[in-house]
Amino acid sequence: MTKILVVDDEASIRMLYREEFEDEGYEVFEAEDGHKLTERIEQDKPDVIVLDIKMAAYDGLDLLQEIRQQFQDLPVIISSAYGAYKGDYKTLAADYYVVKSSDLSELKQKVKKALEGKVPGKKGRKTS
Amino acid sequence: MQAETTNRSAKDPRGKVLDWIEENPQEVKKADIIVGIPSFNEADCIPFVAEQAAIGLKSYFKDYRSVLINCDNNSEDQTRQAFLSVETDIPKIYLSTPEGLKGKGNNFHNLFRKAVDLDAQAVVVVDADLRSITPRWIKNLGEPLFQGYGYVAPIYIRHKYDGTITNHIAYPLSRALYGRRMRQPIGGDFGFSGAMARLYLEGKLWDECVALFGIDIWMTTLAINSPHPTAQAFLGAPKIHRAKDPAASLGPMFRHVISTIFRMMEAFDNTWKQVLWSKPTPIFGFGLGETEMPPPVEVDEDRLYRGFVDGFKENLNVYEQVLTQDVYVKTKEIAGLPYEQFELPPALWAKIVYDFALGFHLNTVPRDELMQAFVALYFGRTGSYVRTTQGMELRVVEDYIEEQCLVFEETKPYLVDRWEEAKGQGEE
Repeated sequence: MTKILVVDDEASIRMLYREEFEDEGYEVFEAEDGHKLTERIEQDKPDVIVLDIKMAAYDGLDLLQEIRQQFQDLPVIISSAYGAYKGDYKTLAADYYVVKSSDLSELKQKVKKALEGKVPGKKGRKTS
Repeated sequence: MQAETTNRSAKDPRGKVLDWIEENPQEVKKADIIVGIPSFNEADCIPFVAEQAAIGLKSYFKDYRSVLINCDNNSEDQTRQAFLSVETDIPKIYLSTPEGLKGKGNNFHNLFRKAVDLDAQAVVVVDADLRSITPRWIKNLGEPLFQGYGYVAPIYIRHKYDGTITNHIAYPLSRALYGRRMRQPIGGDFGFSGAMARLYLEGKLWDECVALFGIDIWMTTLAINSPHPTAQAFLGAPKIHRAKDPAASLGPMFRHVISTIFRMMEAFDNTWKQVLWSKPTPIFGFGLGETEMPPPVEVDEDRLYRGFVDGFKENLNVYEQVLTQDVYVKTKEIAGLPYEQFELPPALWAKIVYDFALGFHLNTVPRDELMQAFVALYFGRTGSYVRTTQGMELRVVEDYIEEQCLVFEETKPYLVDRWEEAKGQGEE
């Protein structure tokens, strides 16, 4: 089953995403903030992450950089209530950017697209 | 110290024997990191770039053996003297093509050879005409190379009308084809590893366009298609250089870059046909605080519009042969619109680019004619973009460019189908 990790500090959003994506056949994990997020990713091994930007204690764009450094090709979709971050160069590290809406069709479409993407892999990054 | 000039010979990637000139006053034999500065008649600008690069090397790579290399085109304006007289502890090497041999790619070829000679682990290249370079650029472009990355492309703030070949062709097309998002594939400032220098020196797909301005996209495309990991470096400061009005100064650069992209498409067609959508590339270098805004670039809108409308009439014969019927009819319609109503939208533009790539591949018309006809449509797309983005903030424009890239990705099956169809008809 395809796994989605939803990182959002609003419980209602997490609940909505869980219901909607479980109905679509996904297995949904939740994180209420970015605490030990990379460890969480190692543990849950999600296929895609849906990431909020403006969280009480964490900046989603900083978390995105952390994720990208360690998991180069793990799909990350930014889901923010604010369109103002679009065009911020930091968002270039995300696969897609979706402005939150009660209609989740765009988010679902981007999740699907991120999962079906086929790009030749790169060899693992060495550390010096 | 009196510098000694050495004339050396080596074969270029096509097997042609080329002389090259080297001046290595400090007799550098090994280096871990090189900053290369390609130039042609940059005596006024190169001292500043060399100074900033030297500070970057001293500040951020002090435990490494480093060297500055000016790879020049035998400039007649004292570039060599201007470079070698920069006061710094970092040793300097001057390389040049021999008299009469020009081309940015030829400069780079000398740099690849020297990087391999010196057994360098990392090479950072910065344009000689930069006015906004800071020592941080060297750090951001160089550090990932010591962390296992093979190639680092820049991300910087550019004015919305600077880099129009990048925004409308090089970025959306390379992203849709190879699936790796490199925002500035022909930015001119980048980093590559020693392993990539050896790969470049093999000279795969080298030709006369690569030896000139096609070098940047050649390097980026080979890097994307190599097994070596790629990254991007956010440089903070905007790229301030001799930015040009896209309507006034296209010059030979357009032909060199586009021919190189199209020719590499032929070589990598088995790869890109398999690619679906695209993936982001890791970005290094954030945390620089507030970024500066780039200076304005003036655009002559009327010249772009006239270049499109007049060029369309002049090249009708080419369009009839290269564009599919549907694309031809729509483009012709747009070329007949008055300036106030004219718009060449991204969805049509993506098909035009794909049609021209296929026309190049199939030699539908002589390639020089094809390029000339493509320029007119590029003017149309650029003019339309200028009209649409007037009054838009840079961030909104970035979003607009992102949307255009998605259109290129969504339209890609059109290219794949046409390419396959041509193959099926034995036209390769």
